Amino acid sequence: MSYDSRTLMRPSRGLPLGIRVALYTIVLGLFLSGAPRVSYAQAPSELPKSWNDSVARLADEVAAAMSPTVVKLDVENISSLDVSSAGAIEAAVRVQLQRHSFSFAAEDSAAAQSVARLQLSLSESAAEYVWVVQIINDQSDAAVAPVMIVAAPKADFADAAAGARTLSLEKRFVCKQAERFLDFALWKDATSGEVTLLVLGTNRLTTYKPAGSQWQLSRTSPIPQAAPPSRDPQGTINLAEGKITVKGFACVGDPDLGEGVRCSASKPIRSLDGPRIDIPGFPNSLGTDVKGSCRGDFVFLFTAEGDRTQSDSIRGRLTKGIPLPLVPSGNTLEFDGPVMALHPDPADGSARAVVHNLKTGEYEAYIVTATCGN
Amino acid sequence: MLRRLAVISALLGVAFAALPARSARRPRYGGTLRVEMGASLASLDPAGAGSSPEEVAALAQIGPLVFEHWGAVDTPVGAAGSGAFRVTSWEAGKRAVLAANEEFREGRPFVDSIEIVMGRAAHERLVDLELSKTDLTEIAPQDARRAAEQGVRVSASQPDELLALVFVEHDAPRTSGSIASGNAAGRAGGRASGRPLAPAKEEVMGQALSLAIDRVAIVNFILQKTGEPAGGLLPQWSSGTAFLFPAAAPSAADLEHAKELSKEIAAAGPLVLGYDSADPLEQSVAERIVVNAKEAGMSVRAQAIPGAGGGAEKSRSAALQAGHVDMELVRWRMTSPLPGEALMDFLSRIYAGPLAGIEAGALPETASPEDNYKQQRAVLSTYRVVPLVWLPQVYGLSARVRDWKAPVPGENWPLADVWLDTETPTGVQ
Repeated sequence: MSYDSRTLMRPSRGLPLGIRVALYTIVLGLFLSGAPRVSYAQAPSELPKSWNDSVARLADEVAAAMSPTVVKLDVENISSLDVSSAGAIEAAVRVQLQRHSFSFAAEDSAAAQSVARLQLSLSESAAEYVWVVQIINDQSDAAVAPVMIVAAPKADFADAAAGARTLSLEKRFVCKQAERFLDFALWKDATSGEVTLLVLGTNRLTTYKPAGSQWQLSRTSPIPQAAPPSRDPQGTINLAEGKITVKGFACVGDPDLGEGVRCSASKPIRSLDGPRIDIPGFPNSLGTDVKGSCRGDFVFLFTAEGDRTQSDSIRGRLTKGIPLPLVPSGNTLEFDGPVMALHPDPADGSARAVVHNLKTGEYEAYIVTATCGN
Repeated sequence: MLRRLAVISALLGVAFAALPARSARRPRYGGTLRVEMGASLASLDPAGAGSSPEEVAALAQIGPLVFEHWGAVDTPVGAAGSGAFRVTSWEAGKRAVLAANEEFREGRPFVDSIEIVMGRAAHERLVDLELSKTDLTEIAPQDARRAAEQGVRVSASQPDELLALVFVEHDAPRTSGSIASGNAAGRAGGRASGRPLAPAKEEVMGQALSLAIDRVAIVNFILQKTGEPAGGLLPQWSSGTAFLFPAAAPSAADLEHAKELSKEIAAAGPLVLGYDSADPLEQSVAERIVVNAKEAGMSVRAQAIPGAGGGAEKSRSAALQAGHVDMELVRWRMTSPLPGEALMDFLSRIYAGPLAGIEAGALPETASPEDNYKQQRAVLSTYRVVPLVWLPQVYGLSARVRDWKAPVPGENWPLADVWLDTETPTGVQ
């Protein structure tokens, strides 16, 4: 983290997170459109082992049902598999059939019109992928054509998709207190190297200095409250943009609170009310983006979908930034209570989590770091 | 290409931009959730609650709210009040009030209470939804589109209820083996003509009907596109193999084939198709089948059968016998989203009903997609079960209901998770 301490708490003219993410996504989309596509056509071995086993079994069953001959393979993907995965499976099926001495008629050749047709359907059930081959001859009715069916686990899809770009999450406990707080931040003075802990409560901002293994209260500055107070108060410390926000107010001041904080009523941020897009894997829970990417993928952190009376967890999800699923990746961090707030740290690939520990009743601060592993 | 990707990315950007807004929708406690249902429950005791399908379904939704667990066979587990809610008021068959259980081990529900009004007719429930006099109620699938067009917030499950035509099992036992080889002389019961229909003829008739029935038209016109044509015993989302059982509209060749099949059978009076007299959807579908059958040269007569009231299954069975019904419409709900479990349940009904006496092929406990496919193919090849359409469970919600997820098969209404957005205007009060 590096920043100018003199401007730390000044109001920022930076764009809201949503707009920044939107712009970033547009730019990434443009970038990706020019990037060469990865082809799996020659790399069926990149499939997970269980998928390769399923493909081999499918080819075995086809070979048992008909003698090796020239065939035409048509593929239809009616599952949630993305284009590249479907292509990889098709390539693997072709390779396996060739091992059984099948050959393929060229798409436009005259032979293709008369050879036996294999219809490969990539489907899925509630529990797994289902891959089906129907042998369709000219004379046979497709409805009663011989059918070969194999299953392939879905879990391997997520693992395979994220296998090359696994996210590793770590949590670091910072502090805890009985009183609820909305956000916290660690600020390091660039000149002295001294660390200050800022804790944003529902009605005050408090700073603490390290004292051995403890944090010692340094200063407190009141924050005005909206009237009537919210049952679900929210607030953010934004060190990068140099301000704190609580419902209805934006505040600035020195990070050590030497002169307190000055708050003024703020206009509510207008949320972008654009077309809603259903994104597979987009949880209905607390989430945030994290700065940086994992091999080109956007990184998001999401809590579990429980309520505030349940233990909670945080897990990373990756997406390429085009309407592909948000794929869970890496380990899950467990907490003894609900994550009440999750804020991105604009300086690095981390986020700040405020957790209400249901066992102790205390509120705990954690820094959650997302690392892109091999 | 560049432009398309840029547009897609822009749309996604907007979706991500809404992330903080979505995440900010944290649940709130308080309020009374108003629920209306068609059934009238006398009590929460399974023995005294009534036994019509509607009552059984209603009990299966309310019971689990009050008891800690609800057994698989409509059996409460634990004391009343050990669930998410406690009954604070019960007017048998009319109204119930449940209060949030502060001590519920899975956490206190978000709403303070639930007010359940029972015995409301479907059209009354719809009107109450439109006037925001209720927060949650079931809507008949055929009414879903009209409700949505009138501004009602509609939530639909995956299609999980099979509407099928099945040949009625009569009293006499049948020999095991292929149904086509069954002995017609051994069959009791009968048709409008009073003569039994031979199994082989049933098979031919079933095949002809299966070819002639326009499932797509049933979905498009009767169900107003709320549902899916059914060719198999499991929906595509559950099995992944439903596409192997075609359910397209009949082609000219199909109709011609159906006519040829129907000519093979000496007509001895119309086939009688029974439907639940209390079910307007079944009535509409039965009438449609009569028309489709006629187009294929078959004579079918639709007949209403009382299906409600105490001992429904028994009385319905007796009515089927007394009415000389050859086949009937049935609605079977899946008990699990998992294809093997759902199929197992369907097969138990089929081999106790239309295929009684036929030896069922063994379905492994952990059936593969291929096992499930073969079992379906075996049943459907008898043509004593003709799948028609898949129906979703449709719910109407008021604007203030949050975190409602239409339950999947085997799940109950998630009313302990639902919360009320009191900042959302509720409309006319």
